[in-house]
Amino acid sequence: MKKAILSVLGRDRPGIVAAVARGLLELDCNIENVSQAMLQTEFAGIFLVAMPESVTLRRLEATLAARLEPLGLQIVAKPCASAAEEETPPPSEPFVITSRGPDRKGLVAHVSEVIARHGVNITRLQAVFKGGSQPGDNLMIFEVDVPEAVDAGALRRELNAAAEQLGLEINLQHRFIFETLHRI
Amino acid sequence: MLTEREIVSTLEMVKNEHLDVRTVTLGLSLFDCAGDELGTVRRRIAERIRRPAERLVSVCDRIGQKYGIPVVNKRIAVSPIAVVAAAFGAPEMVEIARTLDAAAREVRVDFIGGFSALVEKGIARGDRALIEAIPEALASTERVCASVNVASTRSGINMDAVLRMGEVIKAAAERTRERDGIACTKLCVFANIPEDIPFMAGAYLGVGEADAVINVGVSGPGVVRKAIDRALAEQPGLDLGGLSEIIKKTAYKVTRVGELIGREVAEALGIPFGVVDLSLAPTPQVGDSVGEILQSLGLLAIGVPGSTAALALLNDAVKKGGAFASSRVGGLSGAFVPVSEDVNIAEAARSGILGLEKLEALTSVCSVGLDMVALPGDTPAETLAAIIADEMAIGVINQKAAAARLIPVPGKQAGEQAVFGGLLGQTTIIPVNRGSAENLFVRRGGLIPAPIHSLRN
Repeated sequence: MKKAILSVLGRDRPGIVAAVARGLLELDCNIENVSQAMLQTEFAGIFLVAMPESVTLRRLEATLAARLEPLGLQIVAKPCASAAEEETPPPSEPFVITSRGPDRKGLVAHVSEVIARHGVNITRLQAVFKGGSQPGDNLMIFEVDVPEAVDAGALRRELNAAAEQLGLEINLQHRFIFETLHRI
Repeated sequence: MLTEREIVSTLEMVKNEHLDVRTVTLGLSLFDCAGDELGTVRRRIAERIRRPAERLVSVCDRIGQKYGIPVVNKRIAVSPIAVVAAAFGAPEMVEIARTLDAAAREVRVDFIGGFSALVEKGIARGDRALIEAIPEALASTERVCASVNVASTRSGINMDAVLRMGEVIKAAAERTRERDGIACTKLCVFANIPEDIPFMAGAYLGVGEADAVINVGVSGPGVVRKAIDRALAEQPGLDLGGLSEIIKKTAYKVTRVGELIGREVAEALGIPFGVVDLSLAPTPQVGDSVGEILQSLGLLAIGVPGSTAALALLNDAVKKGGAFASSRVGGLSGAFVPVSEDVNIAEAARSGILGLEKLEALTSVCSVGLDMVALPGDTPAETLAAIIADEMAIGVINQKAAAARLIPVPGKQAGEQAVFGGLLGQTTIIPVNRGSAENLFVRRGGLIPAPIHSLRN
């Protein structure tokens, strides 16, 4: 079985997932993972699918486009490496970097560059900027994997330096504290 | 996947509601340091403390930083010195207190508890020497804390010890006259003292404990108060049953944090984890107060009618939430009402809303007792002993821990201010009803027998 990754983008409305899934079923494709997100009124979905050898990527894209374009949705498909071919990530610990503070351009760029410089991978990012200077209205949450080899103290110091420069409050906390506090 | 709500609420608890771990306390057995040559015993004690404790502060700071939860205090509790140093007299006991003080300073812990004696049924030679040494030991050290257990539900109240402690408190206050009797802030007289309290001044390592253990004291008055305020803002008609649920859930969260940090510190130090003490321990900061919780529940101030019922609700809900969160709960585990250490309670004492009698009533439903209560400096020793006896009776009859930490402030009268500083705070001196009257009752001595419900075998 070969695999493909599809991304679907467009204005949200009922029936998007149903249209994608029906199209995939007709091509005898199997959905292995789906993640969808909504930002304000926009829908974005990524679908990881296993498809028969007889189905080409071009055909997959064309079939789905025919179904989805009338709904105002764009689709992109590309081949995906199977799990066996992927590199094993280095052993790491899950941390959460949060920032609050007044909105301005470049916040995501600055903070994510610090994270990248330390070889730390962002596994999930939520950011809401309602604007203004109310700290609670402008929030970035980076869920990250910090490799064991990374100097967490140095990462913390650089994040704090960035926070000072940007007028933000930044915290780096092990993910377990959030689970411990809120989940049974 | 973490939700935005979980993350924001965690940040709020740490940044604005004073969520922290109040203390990580390393319990150390000193029984193998015993001997009859003072120099040898002092050397053994210093070495016994140094090795496991030298990393305590750095490990707590590192783990606190990892989770973004500060560990405010790092402390040590040792075996009762009256037993460890039973071979010695009072002057040697003072020297041992200085050894403990120096060891605490060296490993950078702010308090070391265990200058203690257990005399609920009788006073042994070592106990007598230690009790005699307490005033000088506390006046000449900075970090040593003392406790004496004078009563238990199983044994009754040792009134000879109670009267002796009245005298000891007077003497300790007098020796630190220029600092408002601060030595007394480091001395607790107990009934039913638990063996695993992480909080000072009552922490010591019980005789049934292992060589070393990590116990944790959580905090959380600010978190509980904000949770109540938020719930009432969303649902103004919430009744007391509903508020109790809110407190339970909050106590659960606070306890989980304490246990997480405690277990990780214990693992890093290679020492067994003991218990989480889920007490609501206030500090002199605004927003970190047990008194404010009672106001959020609907009372004008702590001390008005309804206060005992409100505190009972609070204390019970904290225990229930904490017991669900951890199966290693110990120590005092309830709400503290330390007058000088809680700005709101201190204000209630200043304004006359909270007096000694109401405070005593409150202690029958919460976890500690008459804690950090400043009294007029001319209160006689036998009156102090009588106040202690009343508090001990509450503990003994209700089968709970109860303690008295009384400070007769030398040279000052009711209405004047006693200032201890730091976490010990400051408070108005409150009057004692007929405080100077003769008290033949406490001078009769002997043992108030154990209550009938001590016969449980």
